[in-house]
Amino acid sequence: MTTTNNFGLKAGLLSIVILLLFLFGWHMLVVAQQGPAAEGLDPEYAALLGKQATEGDSALPKPHEVGAELWQHISDPFYDAGPNDKGIGIQLAYSLFRVLTGFGLAALLAVPLGFLIGMSPVIYQALNPFIQLLKPVSPLAWMPLALYTIKDSSLSAIFVIFICSIWPMLINTAFGVANVRKEWLNVAKTLEVSPLRTAFRVILPAAAPTILTGMRISIGIAWLVIVAAEMLVGGTGIGYFVWNEWNNLSITGVVSAIVFIGLVGMFLDILLAHAAKLVAYAE
Amino acid sequence: MGALSNPFDPNEILWTGCPCGMHATMYEHQLAMSQSATGSRFYTSETTGAETVEQSVQQQQAAHSDMRDEPEIANTDPDVDWNDQEAVLARCVESAVMKGIFGTDMNRRKFLRGVGSATALAAVSQFVPLDALKAAIIDAKGPLEKTKLNVGFVPITCATPIIMAKPLGFYERYGLDVEVIKTAGWAVSRDKSLSGEYDAAHMLTPMPLAITVGAGSTSVPWTMPAVENINGQAITLANKHLDKQDPTKWKGFTFGVPFEYSMHNFLLRYYVAEAGLDPDKDIQIRVVPPPEMVANLSAGNLDGYLSPDPFNQRAVFDGVGFIYKLTKEIWDGHPCCAFAASQKFIDETPNTFLALFKSILDATAYSQDLSNRPEISEAISPKNYLNQPTTVVQQVLTGRFADGLGKVRNEPTRIDFDPFPYHSFSVWILSQMKRWGYIEGDINFKDISEQVYLATDAQAVMKEMGQTPPDITYKSHTIMGKTFDPAEPDAYIDSFAIKRT
Amino acid sequence: MSEAPIQFTPPKSHSVSQGTEMADKPDTPLRKMIQVEGLERRFPNPGDKGETQIFGDVSFTVAEGEFVCLIGHSGCGKTTLLNILAGLDGPSSGHVIVDGKEISGPSLDRAVVFQGHALMPWMSAMTNIAFAVESRWPNWSSADVRKHCQKYIDMVHLTGSEDKKPAQLSGGMKQRVGIARAFSIEPKILLMDEPFSALDALTRGSLQDELVTICKATNQTSFMITHDIDEAILLADRIVLMTNGPEARVCEIVENTLPKGRTRSDMHTHENYYPMRNHLIEFLVNRSKNFAAEISAADFDPRNPPIARPAAASGTSGEQSLPSNDASATQEKKAS
Repeated sequence: MTTTNNFGLKAGLLSIVILLLFLFGWHMLVVAQQGPAAEGLDPEYAALLGKQATEGDSALPKPHEVGAELWQHISDPFYDAGPNDKGIGIQLAYSLFRVLTGFGLAALLAVPLGFLIGMSPVIYQALNPFIQLLKPVSPLAWMPLALYTIKDSSLSAIFVIFICSIWPMLINTAFGVANVRKEWLNVAKTLEVSPLRTAFRVILPAAAPTILTGMRISIGIAWLVIVAAEMLVGGTGIGYFVWNEWNNLSITGVVSAIVFIGLVGMFLDILLAHAAKLVAYAE
Repeated sequence: MGALSNPFDPNEILWTGCPCGMHATMYEHQLAMSQSATGSRFYTSETTGAETVEQSVQQQQAAHSDMRDEPEIANTDPDVDWNDQEAVLARCVESAVMKGIFGTDMNRRKFLRGVGSATALAAVSQFVPLDALKAAIIDAKGPLEKTKLNVGFVPITCATPIIMAKPLGFYERYGLDVEVIKTAGWAVSRDKSLSGEYDAAHMLTPMPLAITVGAGSTSVPWTMPAVENINGQAITLANKHLDKQDPTKWKGFTFGVPFEYSMHNFLLRYYVAEAGLDPDKDIQIRVVPPPEMVANLSAGNLDGYLSPDPFNQRAVFDGVGFIYKLTKEIWDGHPCCAFAASQKFIDETPNTFLALFKSILDATAYSQDLSNRPEISEAISPKNYLNQPTTVVQQVLTGRFADGLGKVRNEPTRIDFDPFPYHSFSVWILSQMKRWGYIEGDINFKDISEQVYLATDAQAVMKEMGQTPPDITYKSHTIMGKTFDPAEPDAYIDSFAIKRT
Repeated sequence: MSEAPIQFTPPKSHSVSQGTEMADKPDTPLRKMIQVEGLERRFPNPGDKGETQIFGDVSFTVAEGEFVCLIGHSGCGKTTLLNILAGLDGPSSGHVIVDGKEISGPSLDRAVVFQGHALMPWMSAMTNIAFAVESRWPNWSSADVRKHCQKYIDMVHLTGSEDKKPAQLSGGMKQRVGIARAFSIEPKILLMDEPFSALDALTRGSLQDELVTICKATNQTSFMITHDIDEAILLADRIVLMTNGPEARVCEIVENTLPKGRTRSDMHTHENYYPMRNHLIEFLVNRSKNFAAEISAADFDPRNPPIARPAAASGTSGEQSLPSNDASATQEKKAS
């Protein structure tokens, strides 16, 4: 017990040291980029310029500036100042809503279809070329098509999430189902269990860990893609937030957005890891 | 017509629906009334018969002076102060009451002609508590087909009228509840407009033409009722090119423009071609989203760009580039961005469109006044709109700016706002699209221009709003000293040495 | 819940209590629960090169309440044969008739104890059994199912481990759950595929004892595949010997000459034990390999294999007297 405690403590301490080193390095990098202040400027002219031009400031923010920005977002996450300016909490909620909707719809299709593919080699053979063809397509390549056919940018973003989430879940479900141990199926057969009951009581729980792995991959991709998709179509969401900060050339804003994106991505992954634990079994 | 016309004026048409009550919309009424409608397709002056617009205005003024003495209607001046919310509201309520009493506009006008406006107001006031109604009107729905609209904009100073109309209340004045939605780029703006997600949008003046002829997208009839801004762009060069302030030294440069179908692209091409460089061979032109231009310039990926503001000024502000040439120095008065809507939107909701059109024209006129520009700068700089430092936006709008070379320049018309969509603008743009091979074959310059650029309609609406539009829709333009005759576009194209045709 | 849980059926015949030594005459006209007639299984060769016969001409019967073991080397198609009996595989030719009807697939009448325990790892011991019970009696209430399951858990001495997952159980405990699951559906026939082969000797022994007790108590008709000779002598009334594959045949059916009620601890003291054991070892070591020669020498009908009753020469229990040191049993043609 003490060894595990020691282990955790050591790892935690090391993490903190790495973080501090990183922040220090960052700070020094920004300080090193500090150029000479411009001299002999007409005061009226200087007043029209930013600090980058007059004082030689780096375009990169220092860690404490990002920290202040982060704190500002955290202290007021849900303000709503019009359609183009909302708090980070609202933006994240929009993105999460899109991701979960697209992901949920994908799961509703991918899991049953994966079942079918996993159970029937004929269907697998028939669908395999399509899956292989569509799987490597960058989800964002679907965006123009989605915008044209769906005619709604928010729905298009959900569609893009849907299309990118579907493949890992489909393939993993098919794989999990196809690889359910034969003897479990034999048990069900000798017990004259109906195919539907076999699917729910035997195949689904047997393949669940593999399916959950697929879902975990999917949600990771979905969260990566939503940021890009929202940067593309704008409106709302964390991707739009990044774009809006970028539009203002505010690196501080972009860096804080990166922190939030990372945190939410981590949270989603932890969530699914817990779900995976629930269905995991030891043989 | 409209909610803000003086309801006690017998010459005014109050009903947005139709003055005779026979037709559901003004549009149908006018179709019925003017079988030989020549000028405008969606809008004819409300004055019927022999009345001219000028007469109408005179009478309006006469009626107005009649009522001057009447204390009750002191704030119902037909030239309602747009900034005075209460006056606008009062006018709306009075109009509503008059509508309620008379049922059709014809009746109201007969009545007013018979008894005189002042008497009428006094009479009506006696049995209808106008003041009480004024409070309730806020929720009342006008005869607009719809009031909730989505208008897209790309966050650049060209979009000033579209943006500032929201915080400064121009849309509200016309009974509209408009959301102005920031858009990531021109292609997205086009796609969202095509998909119907936006009712109208900020576009580049060549875009409605490109959409209509189907260049770069599916062909959908598009219209451009108004230009948003004239001038207002600049060629910015990276600081390392301080010694190359001469286009003949630009061979091998990489330039950014915001969109293919943009004045930026056509002006840059024109400018370098005049200096003897072939824009397709001697330089490289890349489409770069405006916000990324500054970063690319700083990273050395671009040598310069012809881009909308505030990104020219932003390069100066951040110390990465300098403003080499304002586009007004290439073509003073060139159109840049546009207020554009689909033909479908106009056909299906003509009243709503008209109200939107008017609010844009109104906002544009307001933006034209230099003294309003600091106020506008404050209004459009926040995160919700341009998301830029106010000092950058203000330098662009007021024309007093740091050029990046150590000087403060004063160019009040660096950007200007003039809504009138001259057909000749369109012909010039089409001539350049043809010159650089964006469209091929014979083009009927005149037909396309007149279909897409609603100059005739703009004339009518502007007159009705008391503005003074030009009488002509074609005029010749001078670009870098060379005259463009809109009547001879093909000869104009032929006159260039560097071209793709 | 239309049906109440069935109690252990009282032994219908030759129970230990009433049984005298060698009470089960082979000729006793018992109901035939399983009739295997001329069973053959071929598998296609890899690469489209014809087919290989795994076994052929396999014929034997299992009577009601009888325990039959099948012994053979690996590769003789023992598991394939069991799968065909279970209905999980089909024969290339021949018939399997169970209780008078030819089988056409798996049935709840034939429970299987698999070689690996084949428990669902995500289900507790109780749930694994309940899954079977619910399949057998879909209309039972969950309380009834639980009660029924508990009875079988108690029977295999797993009381207290009901809620453990297979991973938390030892190998022997897992197979007990497997056995409880098979018995819980109260099948007409119990099929077992080397159920104890993966267990250590001590565990195997205790499980064998329990199986004997349970089979006796329920008068369960059972067919078991094994390669453990002592297991066969302990459990089986009759032992089917199969030659090596491919083209394996039933070479002989050995009737157990040890008395009913034998236990693991005392059976080796019986005088017939060594004759039985030696006979079986002789088969596994030599005869199974050289059977082809034996066929040609004897007047051999694979569909009607000879019956052997190895017993001590001085013994009085066996109908056939054999010299105690003679490993080779006298063969006798069974006229059926």
